[in-house]
Amino acid sequence: MPQDMPPTGGYAQVQYKRNLPARGFRPWVYAVGLHAIMAYGFYTHWVGVREQRELTREKMWSRLYLLPLLQAEEDRDQVRRHFAENARQKELLGAEEKVYNSDRFIRPTVVYTPSEVTPEAKKSWF
Amino acid sequence: MAQRDARFNQHVLVDTTPMPDHIPKVEEIGTSSAPLLSASYFIGARCKAFNDDFMQCKQEANGRGEIDCLKEGRKVTRCASSVIKDINTHCLAQFKAHWECLENNNHNLFECRSPEFSLNKCVFQNLGLQKTIPGAPEDQVPVHLRPRQKYSVNAWNQFDLEQRKEAREAGASLFKQQEQK
Repeated sequence: MPQDMPPTGGYAQVQYKRNLPARGFRPWVYAVGLHAIMAYGFYTHWVGVREQRELTREKMWSRLYLLPLLQAEEDRDQVRRHFAENARQKELLGAEEKVYNSDRFIRPTVVYTPSEVTPEAKKSWF
Repeated sequence: MAQRDARFNQHVLVDTTPMPDHIPKVEEIGTSSAPLLSASYFIGARCKAFNDDFMQCKQEANGRGEIDCLKEGRKVTRCASSVIKDINTHCLAQFKAHWECLENNNHNLFECRSPEFSLNKCVFQNLGLQKTIPGAPEDQVPVHLRPRQKYSVNAWNQFDLEQRKEAREAGASLFKQQEQK
């Protein structure tokens, strides 16, 4: 029996090589693009932070210019209540009672109210 | 408030006793927050000396400032009232436009640059008070003169064309002044 021999002219070449064409740009292009986008983003953020800082400065100074005015009004109101309280004490007790061993101005933490109060007045408490 | 009778009884629990007579009366400013914010830089421009005086008095009074600095406080209030009064007589329309804009925009100054620009211009021409933000970087245009407000809802439509031109000129003249220094 004749031996099995290769065909005349030899076998066809085995296809083992891969054929995968590289798509898109070169890798470094992507790296540069990525960093460019990031740089733009950071720049925009930086500009925004600077603007925000100036806006905050503007807001703070507008408040600083108003603060003495508001404080003066509040102080006047507190002093008015303080004098009224002293007068009331003098009327009821005969003398002003000194609560603290200090001559600093201290806002009262306790307020005495009448024992019987109408519901309307309760609504206006503090 | 001062005209009303003293009441502290079962019906009203707010102490309405007026100030004793030995302390001079002063009319309170009586302005709400938006007009005050709108006028704050002009109050600061005119009343800085009084304001500083009052705050210094409070600091040096060592806890008794409320009573000891009443006089300085009255000066502060009178000065601020005079500014509000002057703005009302000379620039009422611009003032009203600006603080109503602030009222409608959450008190954000950057939303109301166009009315603010008109108001600043009118106040500078009539009262000679100018808005300057202390401590702002000198190499930048001050925020209130920038035609584009980055954080505004309508960032590009803040100033009209004429205002944009004037703002640019104002910014340019500021830079020129700094270069001369």
